[in-house]
Amino acid sequence: MSADLNIILPEIILAVFAMLGLVGAVYTGKDKVASLLLWMTVAVMLAVALWIGMTREGGHLAFGGLFIDDAFSRYAKVVLLVSGAAVLLMSEGYMTRKGLLRFEYPMLVALASVGMMVMVSAGDLMTLYMGLELQSLALYVVASLRRDSLRSTEAGLKYFILGALSSGLLLYGASLVYGYAGTTQFGGIIQTAVHGEVSIGLLFGLVFLIAGLAFKVSAVPFHMWTPDVYEGSPTPVTAFFATAPKVAAMGLFARVMHDAFGQAVADWSQVIALLSVASMFLGAIAAIGQTNIKRLMAYSSIAHMGYAMIGLAAGTALGVQAMLIYMAVYVTMNVGTFAFILMMEKDGQPVTDIGALNLYAKREPAKAWALLFLLFSLAGVPPFLGFFAKLGVWIAAIDAGMVWLVVASAVASAIGAYYYLRIVYFMFFGEDRGDTLDVGKSTPVLWGLLMASAAVMILGIVNLFGIEGAANAAALSLVN
Amino acid sequence: MDGANNLLFIIAITPFIGALLPGIMIRAGRATCATFAAAPTVLALAMLAVLTPDVMAGNVIQAEVNWLPQLGLSASFFLDGLGLLFAGMILGVGLLIIIYARYYLSPEDPMGQFYTYLLLFQGAMLGIVLSDNILLLLIFWELTSLSSFLLIGFWKHLPEGRQGARMALAVTGSGGLAMIGGMLILGNIVGSYNLTDILAAGDIIKASEWYLPALILILLGAFTKSAQFPFHFWLPHAMAAPTPVSAYLHSATMVKAGVFLMARMWPALAGTPEWFYIVATTGLITMVIGALIALFKDDLKALLAFSTVSHLGLLTMLLGFGTKLAAVVAVFHIINHLTFKATLFMTAGIIDHETHTRDIKALGGLRKLMPITFVIGTVAALSMAGIPLFNGFLSKEMMLEEASHTVWAGSHHAVPILATVGALLSVAYSFRFIVHVFFGPVRDDYPSKPHDPPVGMWLSPALLMVLVVVIGVLPAAIVGPLVAVAGEAVIGGGKMPYYSLKIWHGITPALYMSIIAIIGGLLLLAMHRPLDRLWNALPRPEAKAMFDALVAAMASLSRTITETLHTGAISRYLSIFVVATVALGLIAASGSSLPPVTREMLPVPGVVLIGWVVLITAIGSVFFMHRSRFRALVMIGVIGLMISSGFVYLSAPDLALTQISVETVTIMLLLLALHFLPKDTPIESSRALRIRDGVIALIGGVGVAAMTYAFLLRDVSTISDYHLANAKTGGGGTNVVNVILVDFRGYDTYGEIIVLGVAGLIIFAVMEALLNGPAARRLRNMDYSQDRSRDRHPLMMVIATRLLMPIAVLVGAYIFLRGHNQPGGGFVAGLIISIALLMQYMASGFAWAQARQKMEYHGMIGWGVVIAGLTGTAAWLFGAPFLTSTFGYFHFPPIEEFELASAMAFDLGVFLAVLGAVMLMLYSLSRIARFAGETVNVEPMDYDPTNRVELLKEDD
Repeated sequence: MSADLNIILPEIILAVFAMLGLVGAVYTGKDKVASLLLWMTVAVMLAVALWIGMTREGGHLAFGGLFIDDAFSRYAKVVLLVSGAAVLLMSEGYMTRKGLLRFEYPMLVALASVGMMVMVSAGDLMTLYMGLELQSLALYVVASLRRDSLRSTEAGLKYFILGALSSGLLLYGASLVYGYAGTTQFGGIIQTAVHGEVSIGLLFGLVFLIAGLAFKVSAVPFHMWTPDVYEGSPTPVTAFFATAPKVAAMGLFARVMHDAFGQAVADWSQVIALLSVASMFLGAIAAIGQTNIKRLMAYSSIAHMGYAMIGLAAGTALGVQAMLIYMAVYVTMNVGTFAFILMMEKDGQPVTDIGALNLYAKREPAKAWALLFLLFSLAGVPPFLGFFAKLGVWIAAIDAGMVWLVVASAVASAIGAYYYLRIVYFMFFGEDRGDTLDVGKSTPVLWGLLMASAAVMILGIVNLFGIEGAANAAALSLVN
Repeated sequence: MDGANNLLFIIAITPFIGALLPGIMIRAGRATCATFAAAPTVLALAMLAVLTPDVMAGNVIQAEVNWLPQLGLSASFFLDGLGLLFAGMILGVGLLIIIYARYYLSPEDPMGQFYTYLLLFQGAMLGIVLSDNILLLLIFWELTSLSSFLLIGFWKHLPEGRQGARMALAVTGSGGLAMIGGMLILGNIVGSYNLTDILAAGDIIKASEWYLPALILILLGAFTKSAQFPFHFWLPHAMAAPTPVSAYLHSATMVKAGVFLMARMWPALAGTPEWFYIVATTGLITMVIGALIALFKDDLKALLAFSTVSHLGLLTMLLGFGTKLAAVVAVFHIINHLTFKATLFMTAGIIDHETHTRDIKALGGLRKLMPITFVIGTVAALSMAGIPLFNGFLSKEMMLEEASHTVWAGSHHAVPILATVGALLSVAYSFRFIVHVFFGPVRDDYPSKPHDPPVGMWLSPALLMVLVVVIGVLPAAIVGPLVAVAGEAVIGGGKMPYYSLKIWHGITPALYMSIIAIIGGLLLLAMHRPLDRLWNALPRPEAKAMFDALVAAMASLSRTITETLHTGAISRYLSIFVVATVALGLIAASGSSLPPVTREMLPVPGVVLIGWVVLITAIGSVFFMHRSRFRALVMIGVIGLMISSGFVYLSAPDLALTQISVETVTIMLLLLALHFLPKDTPIESSRALRIRDGVIALIGGVGVAAMTYAFLLRDVSTISDYHLANAKTGGGGTNVVNVILVDFRGYDTYGEIIVLGVAGLIIFAVMEALLNGPAARRLRNMDYSQDRSRDRHPLMMVIATRLLMPIAVLVGAYIFLRGHNQPGGGFVAGLIISIALLMQYMASGFAWAQARQKMEYHGMIGWGVVIAGLTGTAAWLFGAPFLTSTFGYFHFPPIEEFELASAMAFDLGVFLAVLGAVMLMLYSLSRIARFAGETVNVEPMDYDPTNRVELLKEDD
């Protein structure tokens, strides 16, 4: 028992912290302590990430296999905790200025993070659902945090309805799997689900699980909520949506596919490949017409999930490794880009129109160059880090014999490059229309995160900061 | 060889390190800046010179450093003949351009930035030609696109510059991304990303089924970079860049990258019919079209740009022929084109710089004003025309010779004729360059007074001009060895074909073709003026317009997608969601063959059929009358009852019992809630939309039904057996369902009662918030007194419920106690007692009943959860896990022996939580009613007969 609790101690600490913080704030200063609480949350999340990353080793099962602590889950947890903390840190200034900084916000983010940690550690369909719902419920609320804005509440409601539908679907899939495998534990399911012998019930269960998970990673055609929620939510919340939950969802996706259905790769890899291609193309094409940078980032994230899913579709350890690296790079790029978006202001008001970036490079060259690095990286143009991330998933897919997937994805990335480059074009060669951004609207935190992530885009190519070792270990712990 | 290897590595990185210098050194002045830009180039050239003898001797120098090996990526370089040729060109011309730009750029231009970009570009280019790893090559490839983007857009104040930069980047960048796909396929076929391995595996590649896709993707990259038809349009628009950039990128280096790639990959890819028809045909078309457009361009740089397009086409065609000799000729022509075209660009730059115009129609007569420029320009243009004694002649002759015996799709004439036409046009525009710019009368309306520039500016083109002449006269001696070693590298070893670099080859077909070309070209030039008018009058497809249209089409496609898919309407999102899910289900169903049917269909007795018909009719009625909410609710009640009877029929009394009580409670609560809601649902969507949604719903329903049907016809090992076998022995109960609820899955139930309790509390909390908001005002204004019954608390009802109350409580207790072994349990008991209380509340009004009720509902929920939790934790005292249940049999006389299980205490918690939650919901509804003006009755019933009797008595 105590060994079990020891294994989930990081989750317990974060959860207890969130609950105490919530109750504490209610009985003390409420929103007056929100800022303090936010900083504490950042500190706790970073500390937990550091602890998980530095001290834990090997693979452990807790609660008779309900919960798995292995290299894979640790990798995902570190990425999601660090990115979550970074986004939380970024939001402080913005939320305060907009009067949105409520004490529930950092606590909800912390609870969502607990949910995500449980997701990537799930060893059982029950744990999976528990983590997923904890995360989702917290996210439904933060999506509609701006209660006085119709758009924000509408986005939150849509997200909730569609999310509930997808959860229902996932549950239906899970119960089919349980009914036909006789167990909810991944370790048990994998013995039943052997390719060629997957019973029809199990197959349907698998498909509905995929549909439910695809919603969480916003893969086409289950992506419909993404643009609206990205646009409607307060920008820091959008940034959060674009980062940690995506890592957790992809992690969970990989976990279920490999841990529970790893013997039947052929039964799911084609479906995931299909979702991946649809996501890449829709993300690339639909983003072209966008002028709102938040919506644009929504489509961008849809496309990026498509690329990450290539690694999953490959169905190999190499694929998982590439996917993990991809997610880490993706998160870094998004943190940097959103740090920039949070600094976009005109006459003291936040703007999201990309037209406001015209000739931005002339006035703030350093920030414009940093964004250029990030955008090129997002587009996957060599020699920036984003290219290496793409290269990784492509090589994994080629090795798995999915050449058509790589060809399709290369075409999609050529199309998708257009809209990133358009922003660069506006910044460096646009026309001065007079409606441009204010200058010098940076806080040290935002500026620092923007510059740091831009620097990572170019310095990272030396050795990917060594994360491929961790990703490799993570992938091997998942796929065997 | 270690020293040589390291040297190669240093050469490759020198420009990148050097790129830092000019940006810093610009503070020390322009001359210093230029010097520091030239220094790394000179250094790299010197190192290259050290390696040259080795390479000329036929050795290949390799250097490798591991870099992300798991991606197949290594920083490996190699230097062979072809690499040497290109590296020499890149560095040599680079040096000349740096010198030239020192004088060309005006003091206002940010020179440090310019040189930094230029060196960055130089490094990227050098990387391409030296890479021994195709992935590394790709990185450098895209890096050239990026740095050229910066260089082309250098003059930010010119709108053409910006547009040109954007288009160049879009076209070449996308081509490069497509090429990545091709390279990855290639690497997969060979099993290595090392260029040397790939070049050695030509036969495997050509035999692979993936050969054609890989070829097409790689050629996309090469064609876009080298401005081949139909991607030729970007190059002229990129000419808005400063002339040094045009000269360097768009004649000498970057546009040659595509040609380089085709030459590099020649051993691996060339020689197949696919290669011939794609590459040679594209080259041929590009050569003719480029030359034709060049003839009618009035902008000096545009003329040169299209002539470059034409010559790149020529090179592509030569490589496309797929013969070894043609490949060697291509190598030779690369050298020649480099020398004369860079010279011409710099000449054009000088003219532009001095006269402030590049419009040929505004020029003329510069021969006398700028004699040095005239000589340089004329020599280079003659070479471009292919006039003997200049180097252009030699390679053109060899090209025509090759073309003269190339068969294209069975035709012996197509290629030679078109090649001659290309050469003819080339003569025409070359002479136009000479005649219209330098000859003719001196004008007096030049925008600026022209004169020869300072030495620094003409030195570079002059040096190249000397090369043009020297190679033209003594080809074998000057470039013979280089052509040999580079040619050998292109054809990938094996026997070199016979060729000789000399002026006179005797009377050959090529000579006739050449003569025709020169005479025809001169004639064409003589007729230029009328032809020019005709050309301008003719409608012609404008590639740039097509590109713009393509971009616009993409944008409109994007808009269509977002407008049709992401309308913001949740109904649309939901329908897409459902359709996608059904599609996934179909994929799953089609992907596997169903196992054989193992179960018989059961017979359908009449009773079941009737029940089924009632059920379906009720469902159908809901569909048609859902706008009238009360009627719909009644129908839903019918559905619930039919389902309950279904459970009874299928021998699931427990479920039936639960279903009936849940059904009763929910319908009652809904009825009460409906009171405060509109009576009808408004129509919000069009008929078509409703039909669409109906069809989608039907598809979804049929899908689920089909799936269930398929499942039910097949035997599966279910989890029921385990529970059936263990309920009595493990949980001490014979009612398996109850044992599952309180024992096997006690944790779930524990969670569920918490959820139920929380739901009740939330309804309460939301209602409180609601009553403090604007909704309260609406409620206060609500007026529903007209159609109310006079006798809302009827006598009979009151009496009956009073009588029913103790009975219902008894039944509840009974159901609760028997739950463990017979159908029943805490959940059902809670509901039954709720119903009994609900009846009281309905009979006499809420406030009346409430006043007689001492328990607080919040507390009830809380106690329920606490009791259930404590029961669970009690197991810890005995060292068992949470919620482990135990049971025993007791005998207290006079009662018979009975069983007590710890699960019953747990069930008590369930009972309390359910009761509390239901009552709290009722309380919330009543609060709303009170706000809406519901009166509080003091009496248990509206019409009390005893009062009536009293009154009668008083009357008497």
